[in-house]
Amino acid sequence: MTLSTQTTPSGFLLPSIHSAPPFFTEQPNPTTQAIATDHWIRLILTYARHRKLFSLKVEDAETSGNDWDEILKNERINRKMLPSHLSNILNAMVKKNVAVYEPPKQTHSVVLYWRTPEEWAEALHEWASSTGQLNTIMTYYDITDPPINSELTNIPILLLKKAIAVLTRLGKAQVIGIAEGEGVRFFAGLGNK
Amino acid sequence: MALRHCTKPIDGTIPVQALLYDDEELLTTQEGVGIYEGQQKSPEHQNGTVHISTHRLFYFDAQNELSHSFSLGLELIIRTDYYAGLFTSSPKVTLYLAPSGLESDNQGTETDLASESWECQVCAYRNPPGLSPTAARVCALCGVPQSSISTTERSILPLSKSLPSSSSAIPELTSPDSIACPACTYFNSPSSRSCEMCLTELPRQSNRLAMKSAPTSRPGSPLDDVHVMKLSFRKGGDKPFYAVLKRSLKGKIWEVGSGSSTHNTDAPSLGDSHLIRKSGISGVLHNVQSSAQGQDDNLKDALKDLEGLMAKAQDMVRLAAELNEKLTASSTTTTLPTNGVSSSSTIALTPSTEPEEATFIRSSLSQLGLQMTNTPVTLDMMKDERKWYEELARELAGVLQGRQGKEGTGIMKERGIIALDEVWGGWNRARGVALIPPSTFLLVIPLLPLYTNPTIQTRTLGSGLTVLHTPPYSQAAFSARLVGYLSLAGPRPTIDIAMEEEISVSLAKELVEAAESEGNICREDANTTLIGGGGVGGAQLKWWSNIFEGYAWDGQVS
Repeated sequence: MTLSTQTTPSGFLLPSIHSAPPFFTEQPNPTTQAIATDHWIRLILTYARHRKLFSLKVEDAETSGNDWDEILKNERINRKMLPSHLSNILNAMVKKNVAVYEPPKQTHSVVLYWRTPEEWAEALHEWASSTGQLNTIMTYYDITDPPINSELTNIPILLLKKAIAVLTRLGKAQVIGIAEGEGVRFFAGLGNK
Repeated sequence: MALRHCTKPIDGTIPVQALLYDDEELLTTQEGVGIYEGQQKSPEHQNGTVHISTHRLFYFDAQNELSHSFSLGLELIIRTDYYAGLFTSSPKVTLYLAPSGLESDNQGTETDLASESWECQVCAYRNPPGLSPTAARVCALCGVPQSSISTTERSILPLSKSLPSSSSAIPELTSPDSIACPACTYFNSPSSRSCEMCLTELPRQSNRLAMKSAPTSRPGSPLDDVHVMKLSFRKGGDKPFYAVLKRSLKGKIWEVGSGSSTHNTDAPSLGDSHLIRKSGISGVLHNVQSSAQGQDDNLKDALKDLEGLMAKAQDMVRLAAELNEKLTASSTTTTLPTNGVSSSSTIALTPSTEPEEATFIRSSLSQLGLQMTNTPVTLDMMKDERKWYEELARELAGVLQGRQGKEGTGIMKERGIIALDEVWGGWNRARGVALIPPSTFLLVIPLLPLYTNPTIQTRTLGSGLTVLHTPPYSQAAFSARLVGYLSLAGPRPTIDIAMEEEISVSLAKELVEAAESEGNICREDANTTLIGGGGVGGAQLKWWSNIFEGYAWDGQVS
């Protein structure tokens, strides 16, 4: 039985393993399951990057019609990911530091790090400088919902704060308390006062 | 004849059974017995038959059974001696007889007493004849002694006075022989054994004294009147006879049972006290005591049996040791020539079976635990145990694979894998006798690879099921075959694999899961079905060759 890759309506290239029914079954053998989990994590992160999805919930495996349908289900082979299986994969992702539970202290919803906070920080700084907003005080809302869509549109506040924190350490940003909450000011680079 | 004082003539023409009282029992009989009176032979009683009953000893003279036969109450016997006999002298039993206060006329009345029926004065019960005199002397219904007035003036007189129905208690109070009860100080009749007021047992010594002196005012010390009677066993049978006599004397049936005593003056008081005892608190206590005594006796008997058994066990161990030595000797002699003529197959067969039998006998003995007490045998047995297991392994190999020589059908001839319980059952069925216990079976199994071709190995599966298998069913071989099958035929459920391998589904499941845990295959659960389908509890598993192994990512990269 030969498996082939498949392209989803959203233009995502699914790996051939996604057409193999055992991929949707949790394997009792830990070695085998580790391989399967790795493939799942890669698939989820790649798809998240493709669709710019930031969060994944266990419920996504239970319901249909959400953003994750294309990978958590495979209608061609009539297979789906079971919630318990997805929960275990989320756990593995958190352990591998490619996701964090958000909100914290629960285990059925994560924010995906398809970019690390460092990568986000870079992207954020680039965006700020390219749009000429250095040295300007901005609210978080200005970043997550800019007038012109950017990479950072809809970025979770958690991820944004982490990216800002990275920039602050590098001296490229400064968090300022303002009346409506918190604001941020970006600087051009090192030594820029 | 002095013995006349003690014995009572009987009509020897009547069978002994007819002479017994209702409550008497015949114990043993011995022919060819002669009687000695003192140290002299009693000329009239030189050849006769002696019977022992629970109450009496009977002598039936062979020549003159009508006039020379007599009976003797066992209660008169104080002591017995046994003489085993020497050369022409026959074995003898000596009986030392207590003095008897009987006069010849008394004997007559007693015979009447025993054979007559009488009416109790208290309860008007008509007592039937046939009981022994002591039993007949008291009412069978109410236990009140038969009034002496109706018969003769005898020892029961003082006792009957103390009864409410009797005339007066005054002479008793003044009587010098009366016994004060230790509990209530009531002066009892000298013939009483227990207090009439509170049923406490009276002091025995004074009681005996009273018994001796009170009933008949016979002068003289009792010791002067000890008579000696000897029974000479001319035709043997002395030992069992003596044993029975001893037992009968020990039993004292005439005293503790429903007393029957032929001609003892103590008898009435004995009977009285016995019956009174039966009906009071002391009676209950007495019952408890006597039952405890009985239990004690039983226990002693049982312990004696055990000792006997232990003595026998020693013999058995010795026997086992001897047998073992003989076996060793014979096996060495048979093995020596075998080396010389090993080329001949027919001769080689015989010694090969003989050690097997010898080993079997030895191991049977050792399994009985007989080698434990004898150290050299233990060592020998240990050596042989190992040999025995080896022999068993060889036999089991034959059962499993068929004998090398003939075209037998072994259990594993057609099947490569088989559960241990089935092997055990099959083996024992094949043996038919001397079945192998599971413990031995488990000790034999590890030796199996040495005697099997192809090698049969043991394997314990995930569930704990232990199987015997041929090389094709080892983990590696099976996994390789399974992967080949799956990649050729595509994903398959367990049942298909079972059919392909011609093994049971549960066994296939075990093997497949073992292969899965090795990472050779992977599973697909029907519960992951998107629409419809779905099995219950993993029943719908399909097996795939491990698609994850060696898979290279071919999806979207960025």
